Amino acid sequence: MPLKAPVQAHHFEALGTNCSLFAVGLATGRLLEGEFWVRRMGARLTRFCPDSELSQFNASTGNWTDISPELESLLRESMRAFETSSGLVNVAVLRSIEAVGYTRPLSEGQPVATTLRAAPLPPLPDVLAVRQGAARLERGAGIDLGGIAKGWMADRLCDSLGPNMVANLGGDLSARGTGPAGDGWPVGLGGVTVLLRDQGAATSSVRRRRWSLEHHHLIDPRTGLPAQTGLEEVSVVAADGVEAEVVAKTALLVGPEIAPAYCAAHALAWWLSP
Amino acid sequence: MRSVILRAGATLLTVLATALSALYVTSHLKNPAAPLQPTVLSASGATTLSAPGGTLTLGPSVQPSNAQPVTSTYAS
Repeated sequence: MPLKAPVQAHHFEALGTNCSLFAVGLATGRLLEGEFWVRRMGARLTRFCPDSELSQFNASTGNWTDISPELESLLRESMRAFETSSGLVNVAVLRSIEAVGYTRPLSEGQPVATTLRAAPLPPLPDVLAVRQGAARLERGAGIDLGGIAKGWMADRLCDSLGPNMVANLGGDLSARGTGPAGDGWPVGLGGVTVLLRDQGAATSSVRRRRWSLEHHHLIDPRTGLPAQTGLEEVSVVAADGVEAEVVAKTALLVGPEIAPAYCAAHALAWWLSP
Repeated sequence: MRSVILRAGATLLTVLATALSALYVTSHLKNPAAPLQPTVLSASGATTLSAPGGTLTLGPSVQPSNAQPVTSTYAS
């Protein structure tokens, strides 16, 4: 049995969810720095605050707008996610998610179930253009970064804080290094423990953030409606947090017939729950 | 006279190539019984574990453990 190094743990609530940082050989103060960074980024990237950088960008449609390096990086990740998912991961989902009633944080009360009308999302490259330091959104379009932002933040935390840590931001996690016992970070996935080393994991589900039988937060870009594919939850291990988020969402959206082959080609481990 | 021969030759060559292509295609029909998906699951050495509520598949680069997890991925 290998000797276990002591693990520093730090838990906090941010991004509308529970967040945890775990590290070996890192001072508690560094983990606190990580919390503050998550809070700062969350305040800039939330769609619920009109003063956030994302909301200001969503309000400036039709014009090239200066954006921070962080938002630029996230928008570029979003464009990549659209390509690698064949359009199934589309952050230009804001108007659809507002149309199904999700217009405020769930902490402020349940959304109102609206009448559902199909309206497929436009392809992301048709409504979003990104260049160095600026981006442009077509009129009528809006961005909600969702889980991509959490996966991206988890990856960045591991990049900046330390070589042997786990950042878990509401289930989107990034694990870096060999963990406390040298064989990887023990992480729960689909009811079992797996060891992650320099990998990410994410869960996509329609069981949470649901406010009626038909209304939930996960929009299928092909219809613009809450997804109903025969899969309710998918958890995935992939190369990093962002990739895990993209693969998990794509697998859930392609449904139970195609998801096993899709995951076999794109994931390192996967949990599929109908 | 020379141009007529060239045109006739080109036409003959085109007709011949078309006929040979048609012959090749009809003799190499796609097998309708071929599997739609490659056998990636078995080829990659993945193991599938039965778990309550779904199926868990682990690729060769992810090992299961008996250790207590420090954290989990979950829906939020």
